[in-house]
Amino acid sequence: MSQLIWNGLFVGSFYALVALGYSMVYGIMKLLNFAHGDIYMLGAFTGFAILGAVGGVSPGMALPALLGVLVVTMGVTGLSGVVLERVAYRPLRNAPRLSLLITAVGASFALEYGMRAAAGADPQVYPLRLGGTSVEVLGARVTLQQIALIIVAVALMAGLNLLVTRTREGRAMRAIALDPRTSALMGINVNAVISRTFFLGSALAGAAGVMAGAYYGKIDFLMGFLIGLKAFTSAVIGGIGNIPGTMLGGLLLGLLESFGTYWLGGEWRDVFAFGVLILFLSVRPTGLLGERVTERV
Amino acid sequence: MGKSRVAVIWSLAAAVGMLTAGCGQGLLGGSDTAEDKGPITLGMLIPQSGSEAAIGPYMKNAAQLAVDEINGKGGVLGRKLELKVADDACDAQTAVSGANKLVTEGVKISVGGYCSGATLPTLPVFGKANIPMIIPAANSQELVDQHLKHVFLINGTGTQQAAAAMAWITKQGARSVALVHDNTSYSKDIAVRTQALLDQPGGPDTAIVEAVTPKESDYSANINNILAKKPDFVYWTGYFQEGGLITRQLRQAGYKGGIMVGDGSVSEKLAQIAGAEAGEGVYATMTQTPDTLQGAQTWIADYTKKFGSAPGPYSNQAYDAVRLAAEAVKQAGSTDGAKVTTALEGISGFQMFSGPLKFTPDHTLSTGGFQILVLKSGKFALQDALK
Repeated sequence: MSQLIWNGLFVGSFYALVALGYSMVYGIMKLLNFAHGDIYMLGAFTGFAILGAVGGVSPGMALPALLGVLVVTMGVTGLSGVVLERVAYRPLRNAPRLSLLITAVGASFALEYGMRAAAGADPQVYPLRLGGTSVEVLGARVTLQQIALIIVAVALMAGLNLLVTRTREGRAMRAIALDPRTSALMGINVNAVISRTFFLGSALAGAAGVMAGAYYGKIDFLMGFLIGLKAFTSAVIGGIGNIPGTMLGGLLLGLLESFGTYWLGGEWRDVFAFGVLILFLSVRPTGLLGERVTERV
Repeated sequence: MGKSRVAVIWSLAAAVGMLTAGCGQGLLGGSDTAEDKGPITLGMLIPQSGSEAAIGPYMKNAAQLAVDEINGKGGVLGRKLELKVADDACDAQTAVSGANKLVTEGVKISVGGYCSGATLPTLPVFGKANIPMIIPAANSQELVDQHLKHVFLINGTGTQQAAAAMAWITKQGARSVALVHDNTSYSKDIAVRTQALLDQPGGPDTAIVEAVTPKESDYSANINNILAKKPDFVYWTGYFQEGGLITRQLRQAGYKGGIMVGDGSVSEKLAQIAGAEAGEGVYATMTQTPDTLQGAQTWIADYTKKFGSAPGPYSNQAYDAVRLAAEAVKQAGSTDGAKVTTALEGISGFQMFSGPLKFTPDHTLSTGGFQILVLKSGKFALQDALK
C-alpha cells in the first residue's frame, strides 16, 4: 500500500510541475497552451545538450552538476516560453479563442518536429543518470534520488506559490487574471506580466524535463505529448487557474494511476483514471479548489 | 488532442493517395509491355522516421547491396533491378500512403515491412495491385492468419518465437514467469502465445500477464504489480525503448531474477537506456543477426565497405528478401504477380541466411530460426542457438 502511494506521489509531482505552467497561463489569459508539454521536452533536450557540452562528470558530483544544469535549463526554457508567447500568441490576443487554440496546437507540432529535425528521431540517453539503490521506508522502496527530486519539485512549487501570493509581481498576475482591462487602467504593464508568467511556467516545465531525463534516462522528441495531456488533466482536476489546486490535481492523478494499475491491471489504468476524472468533473466541474466562475458582464 | 488532428489529416492524405493510385492503375494498366525492357522495380516500406527509425538504414542498405550484386551479374531476365524505398514511420496511416505511392511508381514486388502494425494495413493495397509481398521482418501472427496468397514471411512468426522463449525459460529452470506486453498486435501476440505454452500442465507457470502503456517513462506501478506475484523470470515482448526502461526499473526495485526481451527489443539502445549495470545479462529471443551468422564474414565485409558502417538487425533478412524476389522472377520468367506468387510457392532449397528455403502452406518459414542472445557489455551476443 505505501509503495502504491509513494509511486503515485513521485509520478504525480512531475505532473504537478508541468501542470502549473498550464494552469498559470490559463488563469491569466484563458489560453490552453498545448505547446506546454513540448517545453518540457525542450527542457530535457537542453539539459542533454549542456551535459554533452560539459563532458564527463564524476559520479560524486552528479547531484550538484545536475542542479547547475537544472538552473541553466530553466533559464533557457523560460526564455523559449517568452519567445513562444511573443511570436505565436500575442499577435492573436484579441482573436477568437479557437484561433488561439489552433495556434497552440501548431506551436506544439512546430516544437516537436523542429526538435526531430535538430536532434534526430532516435531516442537519446542522458549521459548522467540518477540511479542508486533503494531503501525501505514504511514498507515502500524509496531511492535517495527520488527523495532529492521530490524535494526539488516541492521547493520549486513552494517558491512559485510564495511569488504569486506574497509579491508585487504576483499581485499583478492575480489582478490580470481577474480583469485585464482594469489592470491596464491601474497602470499594470499587462504584456510584461504575461511574458513573466510564461517565463515562470516554462521554467518549471523545463526543470521537470531535466529531472525526468536524469531519472528515467531516455528522452525523445515526442516525450512531451503524453505528459502534456496528463498535466492538462491534472490542472482540470485541481481547478485550472488555481495554483495549490493544480499541485493537488497532479498528485491525485498520479495516485489514481498507481491504484488503477494495482486494482485493475495495466491495460485498465487509463480507463480507471480518466473514468474517475469524468465522474469527478460531472459532480464538481470547477475542480478540487477551483472557484465557481461567474460570468462577467 | 493534437494526435487525433494528425490522424484526420493523414487519413485524408491516404484517401487522396488511394484515389491517385487508382488513377495510376487505369493509366498505366495497358503499358505493361512497353515497360518490359526497363528495370524491374522492387518496393520497400521501412521506418525512416518515428520511434523505430534506427532500423530503416540497416534494411535499406542491405537491400541495395543485394540489388547491386544481382545487377553486377547481369540482372534478372536481362533486366536490371531497381529499389524504391518509402517511409512507413511504423505507423498505419503513413504506411498506407507509402504503399500507395509505391504502387503508383509501378513496383513489381514488395520487399519491405518491419513494424507489424504498419505492415498489416498495406496487405490489401499491394494485394489489389497484384503485387506479391516478401516481408523481411514484420512477423505478427495476424499477417499469417488472413491466409492471403500474395503474402510471404521470411522472418520467424509469433508462434515460433513463443516456442523459442518457452524452450529457454524451461532450460533456465524458471518456475514462475511474468509476461509483459505493450498492447500492440505484435507484442500481445507473442505474450498470449507464450502464456498458452506456460499454461500447459507441468513446467513453469504464468505469474502474471501485465500490459503497459507505450511511450511513458515511469512503469513503477506495473513493476509493483509484477513483483507482487514474485516471479523468477520476466519476458518483455515489446520494443526497445520501453524494454530498456522496464529492465532498469525492475532492477532498481530489487528484482534479481532473469529478464528476457523479444526481437523488437534487440537494439544497443536498450542497453544504453537500461544502463550498463541493469542491462547486463538480459536475454533476447531473436532470429539471426549479422553478429550471429555463421560464415557471413565476406558479406559483412562487403556491406561495411560499401556503406561505411556494419550491418544491423534485419539487414540479412532484407538482403535475402531481394535475392528471393529476383529468384522468383527468374523462375516465373515474368514479373506478373500471379506467376511470381506461384514461383515463390514452388521454390525449394533456395539458400538463405536462415537456411534452405521452403515455404509452408501458410507462406511462412518451416522453422523460425529463433535463438537466444544475451546482453554482454552493451552488445547482444549469441547465448544458445536452441538446436
